[in-house]
Amino acid sequence: MMQQVCAIAWVTWKAAFRFRLFLVVSVLLLGAVVGLPLLIKDDGTARGFTQILLTYTLGLISALLGLSTLWLACGTLARDIEECQMQVVAVKPIARWQIWLGKWLGIVSLNAALLGLSGLSVYVLLEWRATRLPADQQKVLSNEVLVARGSARPPDRNKEIDDATDKVLRERLKKTQLNTGDLPEVRKQIREQIKADYQIIPPGYYRPWTIDLGLAHHFLRDQPLFLRIKFNAGAKSDSGTFDGLWRVGVPNRTKLWQSEVMSLAPDTFHEFQIPPNLFDDNGVLTLQFINPNETVLLFPLEDGIEVLYREGGFGLNFARGLGIIFCWMALFAALGLASASFLSFPVAAFCSLGLLAIVLASGTMANAVSEGTIANYDSEKGTKGWTPADVVVIPTFRAILKVISLAKDFSPIDSLSTGRSITWFQLAQAFGQIVLLLGGVFAAFGIIAFNRRELATAQGTQ
Amino acid sequence: MPTALLEPASPQTVATTPKGEVVVSVRGLTKVFKDFWGRPKARAVDNVDFEVRRGEVFGLLGPNGSGKSTTVKLILGLLHATRGHIEVFGHSPSHVPTKSLIGYLPEESYLYRYLNSRETLEFFGNLFELPKQKRQERTEQLLEMVGLSQAHLRAVGEFSKGMQRRIGLAQALINDPALVILDEPTSGLDPIGCREVKDLIKTLAQRGKTVILSSHLLADVEDVCDRVVIYYGGKIQAMGTLRDLLATPDAIRITTPALPRATMERVLELIRKDVAEDKVRIDTPTQNLESYFLDVVQNARRAAAETSGATSGARVAAYLRGSAEEKPAADKILERLTSAQPAPAQPLAESKPVEAVDQGKLEALTKGNEPATPAAKPAAEAQKSAELEKANEKLSSLLGKPK
Repeated sequence: MMQQVCAIAWVTWKAAFRFRLFLVVSVLLLGAVVGLPLLIKDDGTARGFTQILLTYTLGLISALLGLSTLWLACGTLARDIEECQMQVVAVKPIARWQIWLGKWLGIVSLNAALLGLSGLSVYVLLEWRATRLPADQQKVLSNEVLVARGSARPPDRNKEIDDATDKVLRERLKKTQLNTGDLPEVRKQIREQIKADYQIIPPGYYRPWTIDLGLAHHFLRDQPLFLRIKFNAGAKSDSGTFDGLWRVGVPNRTKLWQSEVMSLAPDTFHEFQIPPNLFDDNGVLTLQFINPNETVLLFPLEDGIEVLYREGGFGLNFARGLGIIFCWMALFAALGLASASFLSFPVAAFCSLGLLAIVLASGTMANAVSEGTIANYDSEKGTKGWTPADVVVIPTFRAILKVISLAKDFSPIDSLSTGRSITWFQLAQAFGQIVLLLGGVFAAFGIIAFNRRELATAQGTQ
Repeated sequence: MPTALLEPASPQTVATTPKGEVVVSVRGLTKVFKDFWGRPKARAVDNVDFEVRRGEVFGLLGPNGSGKSTTVKLILGLLHATRGHIEVFGHSPSHVPTKSLIGYLPEESYLYRYLNSRETLEFFGNLFELPKQKRQERTEQLLEMVGLSQAHLRAVGEFSKGMQRRIGLAQALINDPALVILDEPTSGLDPIGCREVKDLIKTLAQRGKTVILSSHLLADVEDVCDRVVIYYGGKIQAMGTLRDLLATPDAIRITTPALPRATMERVLELIRKDVAEDKVRIDTPTQNLESYFLDVVQNARRAAAETSGATSGARVAAYLRGSAEEKPAADKILERLTSAQPAPAQPLAESKPVEAVDQGKLEALTKGNEPATPAAKPAAEAQKSAELEKANEKLSSLLGKPK
């Protein structure tokens, strides 16, 4: 069986080479890797350097490979059917699912080669160009980017917030008669208020957080930790920054550390190193932020506070990141082949790209779901409107978002550019969710459609 | 060698019933092509029944669009029947293991244009899960057989139509199939290629292979098929052995060497006692154009230079010849084409009844070796010789002028 599947994969490779697709995509990818950093100059800092060499380059590689994968996947099957080559293949003792699988294997192995080639180029270029940064920036780069770091956050407060929200809502309902249609909006507003209590630091106040480092604390003795923080401000400051002071540790229990007064810009991430051994014996790190400003500051629960620590080297982490990108490509290959299993080449390509556009537009869907309506803002009432279509559209959007999140929740490029660990578990999870689950659904659909298709209705076009 | 076509009083009817294992069974087969909305668009095959038995060369004959290719594609599982039942080796056309017994040459070259001929055969050999050594052996033999050994590194997309048919035929035979389905196999082939394909079909049949041949070329079907169905408008209009279908039951033909006039007169005298004069026709058998062409090529090839295109195919691949056959028909034709010795008279020459008895012609025929009109025959010979020379020159220029 494998001999037949490999023969189909081999012929897919041959097509890619003979039609110079491999050459063109390789040149484009290498052009992106080498050309982009030449076109966009970094600011000489480790962060700017990373932004261009990792974030932009890997993003461009993913986009180029994704499009070429969709194109190739649609073309390799649809054109074989349209040009009637499939008529000669399908009458041989090979099941149609094997033909489909062979095509898929051909495309994903081609992708593996292209991704490996461009990934290696990025890695070599990154290591080489890093040596040209100033010494202090090289240190930042090696500590914060060219590393695989684990992460710990404060505990999730959602349950507490929900409980508190329900309690307040019940009390309000006792006092005031509310229209049942307004309940969701009222609950939402109450929740935002309560959530804000967990996030804001009024002027002259401080907020403590406790972060459990878990089992990682066993190997974090004598290792520096990194705080990655982001906050929003209630008002603008003249300088554009706000002062702040950090204290880490618990008196009589752990070592203590206090930062100098820092001048920090709002709405952006800041990362700084804190000394080792500031957590207690249970691995709990306690930290406080003191707000000396005259403006309220808000640290979002989702990504306001994070502790990062070194887990491993960059090389393997980079390879795992490429592994997740490869999983996406395998999904694109399955999507393209599934479309081509029952559609002609141009229609299949159009449908696949349309589906990709929907995925990219998932932010709009997420907004609609969070607002509970697709209606626009009603300026007269000062609230969002409502349309009858919401009854169908919002649950549909919610379902679509859940499916999309199976693939989209992985963010290898972001993880790599912030020096975060991409664990083997995450890679396995990505493979399971993206390739086996989502790819499997497309494959099952495509194979069934291909199996039922009459292959001799197409007229040869060669 | 005069031939007389007579019309006897009683018609001759010989019914031939095929025997042997049923390889393909088609019952009540109907195929209706529908449009996007499911509305019937064309009834390509309409309630067709036939069986093909092991070892038969079975012809599907009919004009373009009569449903031959649709039937073939239904048998191969490339189309789904609207109604009816098809069994191939006792299984449904979609039964995958059965396909290892089938070789298929489609009506056009549906091969990967970017593969060369060797890669093409390797690829299809892999689909049949042939071991590497056997795959390579068969590839070599098939390339040799179809005359593409010298062009094995050229992409199939660069081939002429004839060369594409040749490589298509080779891929159809890579698995030494028990059932070979050939859709217009001689389309695009030169006369030599046509003859080689037909000889190959005969060789396959001698080995007990079953061949289904779909063609609108009557000569192809007539030369090789044991039984035929004739399609028109998606329906079978006639079916049977060629002998049954082509026999003229109310006429007989007598072919003899040239007879003296007196003998001929006596024979005709006897015949005229039973048959009216206008019912008796007499003529000289002529060889057909294909045989004549092959003679010309044989002469030209004696000193032919190498060609970059397809060469005339060599021996039928050893694994296709098998051991049962001592001297396959394909070998004979290939030997004849490649031999430096003059070829014997063509055995496949057809007689051609032309007209009722002409006394002048009769006189000429009954003279035997003596020229009836001394000036006429050398002139005819000279004309034939000149034509032969002309054709010879033309082919020599195509195949390479001998020095």
